[in-house]
Amino acid sequence: MDPSFILMQFLSGLMMATLLFLVASGLTLIFGVGNVFNFAHGSFYMIGAYLAFQVVSSCHANFWLSVLAAALGAGALGMFAEATFLRRIYGRSQEGGFQILLTYSFILIIDDLVKLIWGTEYKSLQRPEGFKGAVNFFGLTIPSYNLAIIGIGILVVVVAWLILSRTRPGRIARAAALDREMLGSLGINVPLTMTLVFGIATAMGGFAGALAAPLRSVSPGAGIEVIIDSLIVVVIGGMGNFWGAWLGALILGEVNAFAIATAPDWASLFSYLVMALTLIFKPEGIFSSRRVRKV
Amino acid sequence: MLTRKSCLWVTLALLAFLVLSLPVGAEEKIIKIGSLYPMTGRPGIYGLDSVDAAEMAIDEINSKGGVNGYKIQLINTDSKAKPDYSVMVAKRYITQDKVNFLFGVVSSAVGLAVTEVSKQHKKIFIGTDHASTQLTTDKLQPYYFRVSNNTFQSMAAGAKYLKELQKTKPWVTIAYIGPDYAYGHDQWNELKYNLDRFGVKYKAVGEYWPKLFAPDYTAFISTIINEKPDILVAGFWGGDTVAFIKQAQPYGLFSKTLYFSPDGGGNYELMAAMGADLPEGLVLSGRHHNNWPDTELNREYVNKFFKRTGRYPTYAAEGAYTGVYAIAEAVKKVGNPDDTEALVKAFEGMKIKLPEDPEGFTSYIDPKSHQIVQEQAIGVTEPNDKFPPAKLMLGKWKVYKAEDLLPPADYIEQLKKK
Repeated sequence: MDPSFILMQFLSGLMMATLLFLVASGLTLIFGVGNVFNFAHGSFYMIGAYLAFQVVSSCHANFWLSVLAAALGAGALGMFAEATFLRRIYGRSQEGGFQILLTYSFILIIDDLVKLIWGTEYKSLQRPEGFKGAVNFFGLTIPSYNLAIIGIGILVVVVAWLILSRTRPGRIARAAALDREMLGSLGINVPLTMTLVFGIATAMGGFAGALAAPLRSVSPGAGIEVIIDSLIVVVIGGMGNFWGAWLGALILGEVNAFAIATAPDWASLFSYLVMALTLIFKPEGIFSSRRVRKV
Repeated sequence: MLTRKSCLWVTLALLAFLVLSLPVGAEEKIIKIGSLYPMTGRPGIYGLDSVDAAEMAIDEINSKGGVNGYKIQLINTDSKAKPDYSVMVAKRYITQDKVNFLFGVVSSAVGLAVTEVSKQHKKIFIGTDHASTQLTTDKLQPYYFRVSNNTFQSMAAGAKYLKELQKTKPWVTIAYIGPDYAYGHDQWNELKYNLDRFGVKYKAVGEYWPKLFAPDYTAFISTIINEKPDILVAGFWGGDTVAFIKQAQPYGLFSKTLYFSPDGGGNYELMAAMGADLPEGLVLSGRHHNNWPDTELNREYVNKFFKRTGRYPTYAAEGAYTGVYAIAEAVKKVGNPDDTEALVKAFEGMKIKLPEDPEGFTSYIDPKSHQIVQEQAIGVTEPNDKFPPAKLMLGKWKVYKAEDLLPPADYIEQLKKK
């Protein structure tokens, strides 16, 4: 394999990894802090894509503004869903089963809502001005929007790290992951914290959906397409482990990219293989050390 | 004296009596069609268009007095694109709803399942929009008929196109990308079979199998760019085509390689979704085109659909529209919708003039394979804003004769042996 092709394939993998991470980060955040497995996370991704489409097409707004609006909209919907429905099942015996059923019902409801509002036709968003073409280097052609997404992914990792480790809300979130009762007795409004964290997580889903919209087709059912790969990422990285999600996405993206380049007939096998091996040999996730198990 | 309230009650009771007694009094004779179309997820637009077009055909026929005194009625259930669920609904249609015909189906997997129910219950199944060649070859049963073309016909036309292309633009290497299930694999096998049959020399340099509905093709695209095939054959449909083209375009894939998708790649939904972003020069086709053939019948059909729904139809719509007219034609010939064996005879060899028939050709149902035989046109994307929101449509058409595109006997034998 010649080196420039290796670089190109690496960048393809990195681009896929970044989008995977942006979706999976919200999924793992809400699992880490709230112990909630949000099966409907992909639906918030889809809502984000539709909201961005709507904002661009009806307000002729700048694409990046529409991404922001999509994140806020998905986050608001997420907070509503948490405060109205999910909150009622916390602490029930067999909460896990209820979580899956309840969040699965969100998928069906959101899918139908999307169909009612936007219909079943495919929607498409253009790449933003300045990112329509490609960048040439070392004889390679890489779409500039792909590079922008990779950059945004790195920015999100850094900002999230700063917030989680250096700010008071970040510390509260980490504390909620460890012991919610203790946090409550210290005078922190735990239900509000949970709602906010759920809102941030779903906003990240919406953010990812809006960013991906110029690359993918926006249609009902788009949420289902991303949830499985996100799950694999979260399992590899360790459920609830934010950094793990990033590294998990990176592994999955690169394994997939180079499998396609070398053994295309077996390409999809490899990602599942990585997940299966992780589950067998290190079920808490490749990157989980016992000390910082969550967030 | 009647109070106001009791007056209201009496009126209501009278109204109820009127409404209830209407169907009984009229003794309407009905042709009942039980359809199974997906109404959700990515194939939802195919289902929605199919139901709208079928209802359009039904309204046209019923408003002219129906067929031999029968009115046509359609009931649709969301197939959810799931075979086992669709089998359950099909059985319910037959035993409880007493339908005269099973109808529809977008996914070939569902088609293959429902054709078994049709066989068991001896209930005619009209296939309108699933492309697996198997249904009219090795899996053919006496009560199945298909009124849209199969992948073999598209791929035979595709192979002829590529053969002609070699004369003007010598190409050698060819690669394939398509969804990793029967529909995707069939297309590639059938194209290679037809290229060999027509004596085309080529070198296959790669085949790629992303999952159906995969969101991300980036790694496939960079691999294909590295391989630089002259022709890239794509077996995608619907949203997968949209996503692949959007992702491949900034890489410059379409300037180096000819993108060729002769079965489902040229469906109108692609032009509608991508607008001005659709690259020029892609070679595509589909089961019906809104701007080909330029006949009175096709223009009328497309305009009627637009007036009714506010959008232009995808090709799924014409299949359903055709299916209803084929049923009406058969019932007209037989006189009733209940004599199944006579109806089968009526469908076999039926000639039916369709929106997609060019001047001088009439589609017909091949009595042996129960497959509709139609001309195929392959076009190239070019600017055309007559069908908004599309900004490009297909043009520079090449048309292929219907008879040349049917699978030869030895190919069917080969399928049966498998």
